[in-house]
Amino acid sequence: MASQDDEFTMLFQDFYPSLCRFLECLLGGRAPLAQDLAQESFLQLHRTAWDTLPPGEARFWLYRVARNLAINEFRKTHTRYRLFDRVVEAMRPAARNPEQEYETRERKELVLEMLQTLPEDQRTALLLREQEQLSYREIGQVLNISESKVKVDIFRARAALRERWSRRVKVAGAGVS
Amino acid sequence: MNCSFTEKISSLIDGELSPAEAREVERHLLSCAQCEEARADFLNLRNQISSFAASLPGRVQNRALEKILSGGRTKPAASGAGVRWGWNWGYGAVALASIAIVTLIIGLNFYQRPPTEVARLSPPPVPSPTVEPSSQAKPSPEPEPQQKPETPKRQPTPTPRRVREPKPGEQFATIPEDVQPVAPERTRSADAQTMTALHFERAETLLRAFRNVRLDDPDAAAEVRYERKRAKQLIYQNMMLRREADASGDVQIASLLDSLEPILLDIANLPDKPDNDTVRVIRERVERKNIVALLQVNSTALARALD
Repeated sequence: MASQDDEFTMLFQDFYPSLCRFLECLLGGRAPLAQDLAQESFLQLHRTAWDTLPPGEARFWLYRVARNLAINEFRKTHTRYRLFDRVVEAMRPAARNPEQEYETRERKELVLEMLQTLPEDQRTALLLREQEQLSYREIGQVLNISESKVKVDIFRARAALRERWSRRVKVAGAGVS
Repeated sequence: MNCSFTEKISSLIDGELSPAEAREVERHLLSCAQCEEARADFLNLRNQISSFAASLPGRVQNRALEKILSGGRTKPAASGAGVRWGWNWGYGAVALASIAIVTLIIGLNFYQRPPTEVARLSPPPVPSPTVEPSSQAKPSPEPEPQQKPETPKRQPTPTPRRVREPKPGEQFATIPEDVQPVAPERTRSADAQTMTALHFERAETLLRAFRNVRLDDPDAAAEVRYERKRAKQLIYQNMMLRREADASGDVQIASLLDSLEPILLDIANLPDKPDNDTVRVIRERVERKNIVALLQVNSTALARALD
């Protein structure tokens, strides 16, 4: 039991931050909710599937469950979580370096804003590729879709983001001139 | 984006093309400015998305692990009870308490923050409404709200020992406890940047050469000997530059050097006559991590910055 817990702890330490990041991007920057869902995914893994999953499968299982939990959240009313997120955000300690904090937040908000313009399936596929470095086959395994759909989704997501990005740059350039 | 090759560029940077297709697309890139621009843009997007740092204080992670381990032993049937602790309270009481806290804290926040941040605080980030229709139009595999998670391949295995998988987002491993990830201040000297740009160029040349080593060739052993020697030379410089990038807070460069290091080590430690599989595994890792493309983009960017 102790060694199983050790193994679980190792997996948790390795993947909890990545799962939080994946969920935060998927949920449009709601960090406390992302942490909550990441925790719930690990809890379900610990309770239900830890003893039965083949080696190496746990990571894909986690992303699949986390994504399903996130989709459920999209369907629910967001109000209470927004309220909770705002409370947590407001309770965060003041930045040690306000300029750095400002720049980080700007960049994060830009990435999140752009990602939120994508359909959920494209966004998930792109995040799994760019952040988690999963192959098309592995992404297909997580999302239960074919490799060719993964390929098309990722390309469409990139093309859409690229177009929006260049439009944004043009608007910014026009504003400056 | 009218060129018929643009879709293949996306697969190329993901290392998902066959060697023949990859060669064809790379040849095309030499003559098509449009596709070359698309590749640079796609890689730039990758950098933006992969360098996104989650808002995750170390104490949250530790607390979550404690909850899971204790919850798993003491409350096996209460699904989610250990997690959704906050929302088991009466919603009315929570709402009232929250409103009071929000009013108080936002007031304090406005008082504490500099004027530029106060101006930015007013429009809170709200998820775009485009998310919901798409997610509703395309239901998840388990539509019920309180679903049980899908458990793929529930075949009991005799030895459920887990292999520790590679860390996908290395930058998180270096975030200290209780410290919010913040944008690093780029204070690297011009010398360090020049050295890094040169190092990237050399590493890129090495990896390209390694990719082209033909193992069925009788002179392959000699070729690999050269790559090994070159990799050994580059490792020490890589370590030095990585430490320097870490110290100056340049996360992007440090992360790239960090990804490069194990590959250089693997090449340097190849035996005299490596078997095809060993070399193939290293090549696949290079392809999957897109190291060559990232080295190219970053060395060009550094060189431009220095001009």
